[in-house]
Amino acid sequence: MAAVPRHPENHPPWELLEQIRWLVRIRWWAAAGVLTAVVCAVAAGVVFAAWKFILVLGFILAYNTWIYQRSRGRPDDRVSTPEDGRQLTLWQVALDAAVLWGFTCLSGGVASPVVFGLLLPVFCAAVLLSPRSAHLFCAVILAGLGLTALAELTGGLPHPSILYQGRELAPLPHPLPLAANLGIFGAVALLAARFTAAVVHTLRRQVDDLGRLQQAETDFGRKLQTLFSIMEGIGSALKLEQVLTTATAEVALVMQVKASSVKLLTEDGKFLRYAAAFGLPESFVRDQVVEVARSPLNKRIIDGEPFVTGQLTAKEMFQFGEVLSEAQIQSVLFVPLHVEGRVMGILGAYCEKPARFSDRDVEFFRLAAGLVAIAIENARAYEAVKTISNERNWFMMKVTHNLRAPLAGMLSILEVVREGYLGAINDEQSEYLRRLDRRARTMLSMINGLMALSRNRERTRVDPNATTAPEELARRVRRTFQDKAAEKRLAFQVNLPENLPPIRGQLETLEQLLENLVSNAIKYTPAEGSVEVKFAKANGTVRIEVSDTGIGIPAADRPRLFTEFFRAENAKSMDEVGTGLGLAIVKEIVDKLGGRTLIESEEGVGTIFVVHLPVAPVAKEART
Amino acid sequence: MDKKGVILVVDDDPDIVATSRIILESNGYEVQTAANGKDAVSLLSRIKPDLVMLDVMMTSDTEGFDLAFKLKEDPEFKDLPIIMLTSFLDKVRAEGPGPFEFILGEAWPVEWLFEKPLDTKKLLARIEAILKAKKET
Repeated sequence: MAAVPRHPENHPPWELLEQIRWLVRIRWWAAAGVLTAVVCAVAAGVVFAAWKFILVLGFILAYNTWIYQRSRGRPDDRVSTPEDGRQLTLWQVALDAAVLWGFTCLSGGVASPVVFGLLLPVFCAAVLLSPRSAHLFCAVILAGLGLTALAELTGGLPHPSILYQGRELAPLPHPLPLAANLGIFGAVALLAARFTAAVVHTLRRQVDDLGRLQQAETDFGRKLQTLFSIMEGIGSALKLEQVLTTATAEVALVMQVKASSVKLLTEDGKFLRYAAAFGLPESFVRDQVVEVARSPLNKRIIDGEPFVTGQLTAKEMFQFGEVLSEAQIQSVLFVPLHVEGRVMGILGAYCEKPARFSDRDVEFFRLAAGLVAIAIENARAYEAVKTISNERNWFMMKVTHNLRAPLAGMLSILEVVREGYLGAINDEQSEYLRRLDRRARTMLSMINGLMALSRNRERTRVDPNATTAPEELARRVRRTFQDKAAEKRLAFQVNLPENLPPIRGQLETLEQLLENLVSNAIKYTPAEGSVEVKFAKANGTVRIEVSDTGIGIPAADRPRLFTEFFRAENAKSMDEVGTGLGLAIVKEIVDKLGGRTLIESEEGVGTIFVVHLPVAPVAKEART
Repeated sequence: MDKKGVILVVDDDPDIVATSRIILESNGYEVQTAANGKDAVSLLSRIKPDLVMLDVMMTSDTEGFDLAFKLKEDPEFKDLPIIMLTSFLDKVRAEGPGPFEFILGEAWPVEWLFEKPLDTKKLLARIEAILKAKKET
């Protein structure tokens, strides 16, 4: 928007008022000065008509009081319009001129040096009034002085007498000094008026330009802010609808138009659908589909024009001209949305005034369109990734189910045979069926582990802001393993001090992490041994220690412990089902949460796994 | 010998149906079978089972759960104990819906959820306990 144009002469009333008040103050001092001068002169023995000076002084005080009264208060009280201010200015320069004229006459007429005091109101007029008024005022004063001089010469004006020690101080009216004084005064006054008016005029223009620049800068700032908001929206929200809603609202506000819209081209390129709108009737946006062939303005954009503007007076240019007219829209601006080098839609602005879009508006609008296009591109890419990810998850689920179902059937049959439901079996048969069962179960846990690993990669990426209470984690681990430990006659304990801070990460994820460690501990600890889980608070982390009195991990195997499918030599030789995925899952989770893992182990004595998990940020806790 | 009760086994896997039948019949139960939810519904009112063993994923991914919800809302069958079986879970918690919490929320409609392959001893113990509790009420 352009600045409100300010005519140099129409400066705001409060500005004039300030100057008027300043002059009022000067006048009080001037009056005091004149009074002092009169008193001093009388005291020094000068004989003159002092009472006349006092009379003029009284007049000064009277009108200054009047001006003071009128200029008092706030600009919106008495002098509320520039016209009022101008009138008051006129009044005071006129009255000042009159008073100074009076002093001139009293102190010896136009030949008196006091006449140059009249330059003061001339200056004031030049500064405060328009150049034309200032010149006019100057001419009036000159004419007045000319008439005064004439009156003096012809005796129409009585000559004042100022006697000091018997000598006449007031210059006698003589044509030569009168003419000289008048000439000098006239020249100085005219030049001063002209020069002052010119300088003031230039100054005011510059001030106005500055104001306009400032306004332009503010506008520019707001536009940048809008572009930034749109960009921020693109960054923070991946839902297309949300980004477009914000963008249309921001664009409409900053361009000061009634409405804005984003229309997207359908697959076949024949229609435009409203993807988002601000300020347009809701039913219109929801129900109307623009047919490109029937809407010449839209068609021009689709055909490649960088922008089009249109007036609602040209109804044939619009498919829904009536509706737009009803919504009091008079002009529109359309720019294309380029996605992947093609026109995918149109960004539109709708204004209540006719033809108000400037080149700058168009330029800004095209920038905004560029950002909106990026938002669309982003959101579409995100949707595509999400679809792929969903499809992958669905596929994994199907794979899991389809791999497990036959295994489950197989194991059920094995069980029926092994349990003797189908008749007795001998020991050798039983042993081989047991081996078969074990291999099938290894396969089953391997499928489970792989699924867990793949799901976990998905899950920890999705929600890094979740938090978990250690108490709940401990409760679940205790519940899951107490039976299993008891079956194996292991001493199983979960120790948890009070007031542990929440841990970063989802409960399910952390549970899986801990379960892998505890199930390993139970698996590789012979009967009558012990397994202990200890929680403790450490520096910025929660320390979870899983210790057992199991077979331990050979030193040579430790470096590869967290590798997928790796199993330590002594673990493989045990008659336990294992996949080599458990610790890989643990590492994966700990790494994602920003924690660390420590192992201490001695073969045949036991193993201690220590996991440090970061404490959840407090601020986030408070917000959720 | 008197039958201990009638159990309807609903599963689309014939191996599971066959082995369940052998195990349950050997333990004194009368067994009826159905391969999907629709067949199960038509059988239900006729045979009036004491308990239903229901697979989760059959024709559709949640067919078992859908049927379970339907039965729990039906006044005729709302007290019929249901044991759900699934090979989809890598781990099923003995005392609750576990990972199915997100589907079921608070309205956990079934008596028990078992992971396939079935732990026969636990399954038999559970069936006995449920039927005993049912008889007492």
